[in-house]
Amino acid sequence: MEQEKKLTEQESLSLITMMINKAKESYHDTGIGAIMWGAVIAICSLVRLSEVQFEYKLPFDIYLLTLVAIIPQIFISIKEKKERKVISYDDAYLDYIWLGFGITIFLLIHISNNIFGEWGSWANEYKNITGKSPSFRFSEYVGPLFLMLYGLPTFITGAACKFKPMLWGGIFCWVCCIIAVYTSIKIDLLLTAASAVFAWLVPGVIMEKEYREYKKEQAQLNV
Amino acid sequence: MFKDLDPILHSQLRLAVMSLLISVKEAEFTFLKEKTNATAGNLSVQIQKLKEVGYIDVIKQFKDNYPQTICKITAPGIRAFEEYVKNLQAYLAQPK
Repeated sequence: MEQEKKLTEQESLSLITMMINKAKESYHDTGIGAIMWGAVIAICSLVRLSEVQFEYKLPFDIYLLTLVAIIPQIFISIKEKKERKVISYDDAYLDYIWLGFGITIFLLIHISNNIFGEWGSWANEYKNITGKSPSFRFSEYVGPLFLMLYGLPTFITGAACKFKPMLWGGIFCWVCCIIAVYTSIKIDLLLTAASAVFAWLVPGVIMEKEYREYKKEQAQLNV
Repeated sequence: MFKDLDPILHSQLRLAVMSLLISVKEAEFTFLKEKTNATAGNLSVQIQKLKEVGYIDVIKQFKDNYPQTICKITAPGIRAFEEYVKNLQAYLAQPK
């Protein structure tokens, strides 16, 4: 591009439009984080489902895997930030949205555990007095709460990045959330695993493929 | 009466750089070079001109022991760009 070429008004406007579009196309997520979280949540849900179905208990809570997954996520984020040649306004906002999502999830876990503690002792007392288990089970409603939250950042990211697989993934989480309100805990866990696969794992694989193609194109351009 | 178009912006490469920077929070020199297909020397000169008039900020730092140049548009740069587009639209809207 020559620096001193004088432009007509029409050429100027076309150049501005072209460059703004080029800048918009520059968002390239590696997809690794989405793949990892999709796999982790799906595995946790399916293992918990097998615990409920086959009536056994692992010596540890399988959902602790989500805490372990934070460590590779930190390294992934640092590496992605280092490789980024451009920071869009969307990137900056989305980083905060996902950070906020992570904090909200852990707060919800904390609140749920407290309710479970209270509810457990109340249910035992109820059983001792009436001889029957209470018909209301709080655990049936935990799955939908998480699914509702999973949908929010996924939908926003899909819309902001104009990445339809994630946009539909977010909607899928909310549809599963509605269904899970009326289904048993086993189905809730299955819906959670399906949501993790469709909201994160599959879009992550698509993103990773697109990123590899982009890197290949860049390498060819630089030859 | 139409206002004159800002001569700093009414140049192909400088306008391309400003159009890229108006769309993002910040960008590396290599990103601007890749998107504009300009040579490094040519791009450096134009970035320097934009910096001198206060339209962009240029941050020079090191990343993994390699020099890194980051550019971001300033508030006066945004105002100048918006004014330029407004004037451009006014020119284009006038009856031929």
